[in-house]
Amino acid sequence: MRTTEIAVIGAGPAGIGAALAAARNGSKVIVIDENAAAGGHLRWTMARQAGFGGAPDGLRGDEIAAWAAGELRAAGVDVLTSSVAWGLFDDSTLGVHSPDASFQLRASYVIIATGATDLVWPFPGWELPGVLTATAALRMVHLDRVLPGRRVVVLGAGAEADVVADDLAACGADAVQRQLGVDGVSAGGDGHVEWIDVDGVRSECDTVVIALGRQPDAQLAHQAQVACTYSVGDGVVVVRDETLATSVPSIFVVGDAAGVGSPERAFDEGMVAGEAASGSAGLSEALDRLGTVERHAVPLPSMPRLAATTLVCRCEEVRAGTLRAAIADGAISINDLKRRTRSGMGICQGIYCQRTMAGMISAEAGIAVETILPMTARPPARMIPMAAMADLEP
Amino acid sequence: MMRQEEGSMTGRQAANRIDDHPVLGENPRQEIVQVLFDGEPLQALTGESIATTLRAHGVAVHRTMPETQAPRGLFCGVGRCPDCMMTVDGVLNVRACVTPVRDGMVIETQRELGTWKVRA
Repeated sequence: MRTTEIAVIGAGPAGIGAALAAARNGSKVIVIDENAAAGGHLRWTMARQAGFGGAPDGLRGDEIAAWAAGELRAAGVDVLTSSVAWGLFDDSTLGVHSPDASFQLRASYVIIATGATDLVWPFPGWELPGVLTATAALRMVHLDRVLPGRRVVVLGAGAEADVVADDLAACGADAVQRQLGVDGVSAGGDGHVEWIDVDGVRSECDTVVIALGRQPDAQLAHQAQVACTYSVGDGVVVVRDETLATSVPSIFVVGDAAGVGSPERAFDEGMVAGEAASGSAGLSEALDRLGTVERHAVPLPSMPRLAATTLVCRCEEVRAGTLRAAIADGAISINDLKRRTRSGMGICQGIYCQRTMAGMISAEAGIAVETILPMTARPPARMIPMAAMADLEP
Repeated sequence: MMRQEEGSMTGRQAANRIDDHPVLGENPRQEIVQVLFDGEPLQALTGESIATTLRAHGVAVHRTMPETQAPRGLFCGVGRCPDCMMTVDGVLNVRACVTPVRDGMVIETQRELGTWKVRA
């Protein structure tokens, strides 16, 4: 068992803020991130940023990520990249799988800064090769310098969809943007996507990017049974007080993982948690600064009515009709629906189907969506090899 | 903006590479290695993911699913979903979106649950 004073999960804007604040106060900090480098989604964000304490204003996202990596090093933070924190157990003990070792890490404080995941709503044909998320497309274009396709339809009307369409076009793709249709969306093609219909208007394409927005992804907090509530924009979110404390004193949840907002807001939330966890007098100042940066709730498109044959759970290949029949048969909780149909039981841990399952239970059984509890979160939060358990350090 | 890269002998072109990124400029990844995709040699750049190499060459399908035998390809791009899983150097269920290429890597489309050998 390894130990640290503070473990930060995720090296995006929130995790960077938390780790820098705590380490500058002299605490021993370990940051765990599943990506190859620190920075989170800043690494594939070309827009210029402000509000990262100490960084020159006006750097691009990827430049901020590089700045942050240097600052973390200078502050003596131990950053474990390509590493996953797959479980959060009693006594703030994490299960960690890194390229070099598999171990348990006990921390006095765990700061969960795991960011957000693309929000998706199912439509016929969304499982076809060539249909991908905004994050997949942005990473491919900016990290990997490859176009996901030549003729691209970007599905969505928000700021993120604008960014995806603009960036793809700037890199040479023929990109058009379509709003999620009122009268429905369906895609088709022979073995890969070749067209998408939105409100009865067809676009020929080789790629469809789903850019509807993002949803908080705090699986570790759910494993630790941190108290949650429901918000219209974000779905199930952790409850925090004005000092960002959760129902579990040793656990903080900050940044997009607690509610989707700006990178600046995430960084400032991280600073608050870092100051609080390191017991610093700088906490009140960090809270004051946080008060000046509002978190702008982004209205998300509502779930469309699903045809019986539309795939809801991509991992376990469960269709809307199967779910509808189970709900009619009395499965009116997500856990029960999961047990009966396997929906949400797959490798993604329900991250891409749970909100659809909640929406279907609400629509079919007439239950207010805000009262529907999430499925029980169990380790591992990420796919890990069996060797991660077999080789676990004592 | 697009490079006409020399293709492999069998002719799959890396036609989707962005050689001169409008913001970032030249790709820092320059070291060319070779991988085998379903027996066909493809040129890859050290540092990029398997999914990137395949997409650069216009490959969309990574696997077929166990229940429906339906094809799937890159979806989440962050290692969360099962859609881009392939068989790599004989190992099943390798997430192509987060696994970097290596010279000589043998990448195979994974059919349903895949096939494997039990070690003696």
